Amino acid sequence: MAESEEEVDVLVQRVVKDIANAFKKNPSIDEIGVILCPEARYNRSPIVLVENKLGVESWCVKFLLPYVHNKLLLYRQRKHWLDREALVDITCTLLLLNPDFTTAWNVRKELLQCGVLNPEKDLYLGKLALTKFPKSPETWIHRRWVLQQVLNQVSTLDHNKNQQQAEAVQADAERNEQLSDRLARTLRQEMKVCSDAAGRYPSNYNAWSHRIWVLQHMARGNVKVLHDELSSMRVWVSMHVSDHSGFHYRQFLLKELIAEICKRPAHTSTSCSPQRGCSTVPEGSPCPHSCSHSNGEPSGQEAGGEEDSHADFTTVLQLFHQEMDLCSDLIQSFPGHETLWSHRRHVFYLWDQWVREHQHSCSRGSDCKLIHLTDPDPGVPEISSQSCAGQGHGVNGQKHASEPMEVDGLFLPDPHNSKRLKRGVLLPCPPTLPTELSFVSSVLGGCCNTEQRHFALAYRKWLDTVIGLQS
Amino acid sequence: SGALLEGTQVKDVIIKPDAPSTLLLEKHADYIAAYGSKKDDYEYTLSEYLRMSGIYWGLTVMDLMGQLPRMNQQEIIDFIKACQHECGGISASIGHDPHLLYTLSAVQILCLYDSIDAIDVDKVVEYVKGLQQEDGSFAGDKWGEIDTRFSFCAVATLALLGKMDTINVDKAVEFVLSCMNFDGGFGCRPGSESHAGQIYCCTGFLSLTGQLHQLNADLLGWWLCERQLPSGGLNGRPEKLPDVCYSWWVLASLKIIGRIRWIDKDKLRKFILACQDEETGGFADRPGDMVDPFHTLFGVAGLSLLGDEQIKPVNPVLCMPEDVLQRIGLQPDLLS
Ligand SMILES: [Zn+2]
Repeated sequence: MAESEEEVDVLVQRVVKDIANAFKKNPSIDEIGVILCPEARYNRSPIVLVENKLGVESWCVKFLLPYVHNKLLLYRQRKHWLDREALVDITCTLLLLNPDFTTAWNVRKELLQCGVLNPEKDLYLGKLALTKFPKSPETWIHRRWVLQQVLNQVSTLDHNKNQQQAEAVQADAERNEQLSDRLARTLRQEMKVCSDAAGRYPSNYNAWSHRIWVLQHMARGNVKVLHDELSSMRVWVSMHVSDHSGFHYRQFLLKELIAEICKRPAHTSTSCSPQRGCSTVPEGSPCPHSCSHSNGEPSGQEAGGEEDSHADFTTVLQLFHQEMDLCSDLIQSFPGHETLWSHRRHVFYLWDQWVREHQHSCSRGSDCKLIHLTDPDPGVPEISSQSCAGQGHGVNGQKHASEPMEVDGLFLPDPHNSKRLKRGVLLPCPPTLPTELSFVSSVLGGCCNTEQRHFALAYRKWLDTVIGLQS
Repeated sequence: SGALLEGTQVKDVIIKPDAPSTLLLEKHADYIAAYGSKKDDYEYTLSEYLRMSGIYWGLTVMDLMGQLPRMNQQEIIDFIKACQHECGGISASIGHDPHLLYTLSAVQILCLYDSIDAIDVDKVVEYVKGLQQEDGSFAGDKWGEIDTRFSFCAVATLALLGKMDTINVDKAVEFVLSCMNFDGGFGCRPGSESHAGQIYCCTGFLSLTGQLHQLNADLLGWWLCERQLPSGGLNGRPEKLPDVCYSWWVLASLKIIGRIRWIDKDKLRKFILACQDEETGGFADRPGDMVDPFHTLFGVAGLSLLGDEQIKPVNPVLCMPEDVLQRIGLQPDLLS
């Protein structure tokens, strides 16, 4: 149809308007796509809205994209004037078709800085672009910039608040609540956007590294958020056993959680983790998920005071135990997945490092009365070692019996085994080099899947060289 | 369940017996020479946001094949001049915003043509310097995104211009090392997953800054070797498909850390050759896919690192012909 330059002009301007109007008419559009339709149908807009999905008929894309592309570049070279509203509409169309067009996002950054756009609007546009282009690096980069603006706004307000201490305390508290509400909402939304993009493209590096960025910048040091993330990710990774990025995210959460647990006041003298800046989010405020730990993740909130180091040890041990347990289950249920074996390496490495660091601080005479990390096997805390002796891993997908470990004076629920002894509760045995080697043997003994065997042997070699040579 | 379905997911390719097994150099040169002439193409518009890098890929592969004179030198140099902005940075194309990624590509192209003075070099140096942050990291442009890729772009640009001393190298090194993971690899930022592309940038960065000894070369080499799949191709992370571009990033990293002998070179060569398109010329990411200049460069450069004598030797750190680097007197470190 429209082939002459003027005709294309008229057509395209109409389509750009149609897209803008579709968003005005339906602010809850949640997905975009191209509808395969090689021929134009007269008197009908190529923009189709079905439920909350916005579709562009494929025939018009080849006119639409070069047009909006060139319009924006002419504007950027000051050869063609566009008013603010036109800029908003043109960059929107352009980015939905080609979201890696960096300069178009930059134009929107400028519009945002002068107040023509608001952060929520741009986060929304990015979210839509990601439904069709879940990897788009520039879309993720722009998102981080917008989120940084939100964070800056909040911290500026926070700062002003501190300077005007004469103001009513009541107003302060209210504003503070509004701010943390906004941040909590934004955080929740970001996690959802990341999950959706991760579901649309496997091992989506950009989505998962964005998720890490969000935690580092919007929930730094927030143990509750870390726990909730770990809980909700458990189901996800179990259904995506090839997704290396998803498992890496779990490793990141574990590492952060352990660092936070060790950072608590009772441990200020230990060498556990580098001190970090405070969370941007007020302590305990954003709560993206419900507070339950129904997936069996232990709660990070233990009693304070003298028993802190015991409680911390228990928490860390349980975190690792459950992670190794999950990993064993998945390896046995889904043989031959490199991702799962790689996860095992990382988790065991983290545990091994943690034990080594604590061994160090204990030997300097701090309050680790209970946990004697002594020779001859430096990897095994000497806690009722006889009760650990019989443990082993099941063969052929059979879940191994998690033999309990007895700890004096602790009254903490073990989600796997809540049987209580008179003197304390049963704690799981910590993973050690020998238990890992025996896990490998059990896998090798009962398996004829070549890939599984290959990965099990590679893990054994890794244990022998990387872990074995360290001790 | 979803997991069960994923268990059957294809994680490698099978190379067909009739796949190309010899290097089709003339075809590739024709493919690249013709590529730039289809400027009204829809695809060409779609990729304009990275045009400067596209030109670098095309010109570098032509130079490696000894075919650089077939490209229009004057037109390209004029284009680069038109892409330098007031701030000193260079953009992907005219009317686009400047960025470190395209600043490096432009400087690489000008080195190929021995015409670095076509642009304002001092301003480029100022631009790069201005993007370094307090923690030593580099932003990609004035909007502030941080990534170890940009650390590489910054030091590679300055190394090519002989101006490394204008930035705080110690701080820059400190930041890159903070992105190292337990597996010896690197991610885009502290805490991020190891990724072959990021590892290439970080090993290249450490080479250019003389800090390769900071690597755990055995551990990293181990991870890199585990990227080789039964087809011979290399992937960028566990359980991803093999890809010609990742084959280059992994292979070049192994070369930089002196562990290239740890992989099966013959199998990798067969995989790369199988990614050629016998009819159109050019290389694809995997056998049978559509070719593009990006994978064509990394296919040819990979074969060069594997020792193919029909191709000029390539430098693993900068992905440029060794003779060009000799001319400007730059010899990045390699471990032995
Ligand atoms: Zn590729």
